Amino acid sequence: MQWKILGVVLIALALLVTPVSADSAPTVTSIAEQLVCQCGCTQTLAACSEPECSTREAMKASIGQKLAQGQSESQILQSFVVQYGEKVLVTPPKSGFNLVAWILPFVAILAGAAIIFSAMRVWVKRGSKAQTTTTTGSEQMDEEYRRRVEQELKEFEERGFR
Amino acid sequence: MADLGYIALFLALVASVYSVIAFIFGERNRHLAMLASAKNSLLVVCGLVSVAVAALAYSLVTHDFQIEYVASYTSRTLSLPYLISALWAGNDGSLLFWGWLLSIFAAVVVLQKRDMGKALVPYASSIIMVTEAFFLILLVWVANPFQRLPFVPADGNGLNPLLQNPGMLFHPPLLLAGYVGFTIPFAFAMAALLTRRLGDEWLITIRRWTLLTWLILGVGNILGAWWAYVELGWGGYWAWDPVESAGFMPWLVATAFLHSIMMQRRRGILKVWNMVLIILTFTLSIFGTFLTRSGILSSVHSFGDSTLGPFFSVFMGVALIGSLGLLFYRSGELQGETEMESLVSRESTFLLNNLLLVGAAFATFLGTIFPLISEAVRGVKINVGPPFFNQVNVPIFLATILLAGICTLIGWRQASVKNLLRHFLWPLVAAVILGIVLFIFGIREVYALIAFPVCGFVLLTILYEWWRGTRARHHVRNENYLKAFWGLVGSNRPRYGGYIVHIGIIILAIGIAASSLYSVDKEVSIKPGESIAINNYNLVYESKDSFQTAGKNVDTTTLSVYHQGKLIGQLTPEKYLQLSDQQGVTEVAIRSTLLEDLYVILLGFDADGTTAFKVLVNPMVSWIWIGGVIFMLGGLVAFWPERQKLPVQNNEGARENGRKVVDRKAQPAKNSTKSRIGSSRGVRRA
Repeated sequence: MQWKILGVVLIALALLVTPVSADSAPTVTSIAEQLVCQCGCTQTLAACSEPECSTREAMKASIGQKLAQGQSESQILQSFVVQYGEKVLVTPPKSGFNLVAWILPFVAILAGAAIIFSAMRVWVKRGSKAQTTTTTGSEQMDEEYRRRVEQELKEFEERGFR
Repeated sequence: MADLGYIALFLALVASVYSVIAFIFGERNRHLAMLASAKNSLLVVCGLVSVAVAALAYSLVTHDFQIEYVASYTSRTLSLPYLISALWAGNDGSLLFWGWLLSIFAAVVVLQKRDMGKALVPYASSIIMVTEAFFLILLVWVANPFQRLPFVPADGNGLNPLLQNPGMLFHPPLLLAGYVGFTIPFAFAMAALLTRRLGDEWLITIRRWTLLTWLILGVGNILGAWWAYVELGWGGYWAWDPVESAGFMPWLVATAFLHSIMMQRRRGILKVWNMVLIILTFTLSIFGTFLTRSGILSSVHSFGDSTLGPFFSVFMGVALIGSLGLLFYRSGELQGETEMESLVSRESTFLLNNLLLVGAAFATFLGTIFPLISEAVRGVKINVGPPFFNQVNVPIFLATILLAGICTLIGWRQASVKNLLRHFLWPLVAAVILGIVLFIFGIREVYALIAFPVCGFVLLTILYEWWRGTRARHHVRNENYLKAFWGLVGSNRPRYGGYIVHIGIIILAIGIAASSLYSVDKEVSIKPGESIAINNYNLVYESKDSFQTAGKNVDTTTLSVYHQGKLIGQLTPEKYLQLSDQQGVTEVAIRSTLLEDLYVILLGFDADGTTAFKVLVNPMVSWIWIGGVIFMLGGLVAFWPERQKLPVQNNEGARENGRKVVDRKAQPAKNSTKSRIGSSRGVRRA
């Protein structure tokens, strides 16, 4: 049963960790959110509010024009990459070497989870061995536990949950 | 003044180097006089650096423009608070401030009366002084804040207008204090490794240091977000700027550390892991300082050209390799016979929580430095912006929050399935109902449908836990509910403070989820008399005005705000030109309620007489700041020294005291540790 619960928890966590993406028709803003403004503000084109911005309006107008010509989102983004280089994109495209950045964190977490899981199995095995030896222990052990329970109850009464 | 400051720094460097040598020599040879002199020279360092800071502050306030730093960051028109804040406005000054904070912390470490960790103090102090000496070397030879100009300018350049915000008075000092503070737990960890005192002693000694530092760094980060929101004028509060990430990473790892030390304290496990975490926290703190000064990544926080990058890389490298090497050398002595009773227990949630927090820190680190990796490997410059960090981190954070809820209700050691079901049932049912209600009310964003129920679930588990404890006290001690609750929190402040912190984080998370998923914006160019409609708001552009004040040309606009047809107030977004450096700055206007913020940015004036505005409606942003305040209060509750029991006078007290003595005899190890912690916690009383 414990294994099942752990399994359910792990699957739930894995589902949570799976990135979700939503698709909808591209707009000037939705594309501007994926581009970096080239005025030096280091912000996205959508967020740039530099009073003296030299590039924002031109870049947005260009997106609007291309949308009106019926270009797709990826075509428009590609045209900006051709013009300015890959650094115009807010995030690296999910292809080639860039996949390292996208995937490595999750690979690392999964590897960590595997390590924790196998370590816990060893620890629990050790713990359950220790438990069996204690349960076959003598009367004296029972007395020790009884004393500890009383002690802890007393402490609880005094201070509440710990 | 400049000479006095510089000489003080130079002498402080000499004293700090002497202190390092004397601490090590004195400790190795048990030479008490030597140790005392090491301690005194440490205090002298603190005194001398304070003199240097006072000298710089005096020069700033008295407009001694011959000092380059004063001329670069202040002007005659600057008000007193910002004159003082110029101490940390520039590269050299902020390094001095770093060194000053560290010297003060070091003095507190050696002056604290302690029962625990005494044996660690000499080596810990020497490590702190090594760090101090590093900063003093930079201050004396590379980044001297007292550098003179060959002439005396009539006025200074003034402070960057973006920095002239109340945020400037608190955000940088808090963040720096957070960075600097992690030196202390790191130093004690190293001292534990060096002296082979590898038990819980060092952990107990630094728990409250770490907690306070972590709290300060957290509050510093939230204040930074608030400042960005109200001042930078792009409508958001967190942009995953490299330096923001740099302030966030040590906080994440320190959060993992604060949780995992509980595992070591309770179960004696994760000893090596805890060492790794504190080493990482310290190194990441230095990394944050390094990023702002190296200019390797572009950021709103950079200090411009600075030659300090290589120095910091070397220091970071030495600290990381040295400490990990030492840990590896001693790792054999840190292994314990780890045992666990069950896979389903609070222990396993702590392990997963550590994994996720460190995983988030790793993802953030990778994203931050990936542009450099890409340039090195492919020769192509790329950007790793907010969508990357959000897509990678949001699922990790949601999972972490969910774990916080599971952890609250799951017992230490072994949780029985029946108990689990019993405790989880109601919070779970409530969370599912919340999800369904949200769906019915038209919420379709997948993340919203996950995030809000998860937050609701965790909130309910904590409230349920409090309710159980309060009810138990109410029954057992016949107290009324309010008193019982108060007593419950007081009975174990670290624990209940921790829960309050969790509540703060959840409220903050709700604010972040709502504002990032449901923010609406509109950019329009209109003439006076025309209006902008957005959501339920209608903004009528009433008028514009231009005037000149001390040092700037201001353009201001007035908009009347109508909500569902009713006038609710006016907003005046502005824009001004700082004459000294011809820098244009926008001053946003915000109307904030619990439900949403109306955020108006004046973009500019077009040639045809129209005015360009950007208007945003950001839902529930104020929850972020409220969550931040709760976070801070919870942290303080957890940090606050536990009250020492006063000497007993009446009979009842005598009985209690008697019982305590008996207890101590019955459980010598546990109680003696507790009483020692108690007294080390109460140190500040003395």
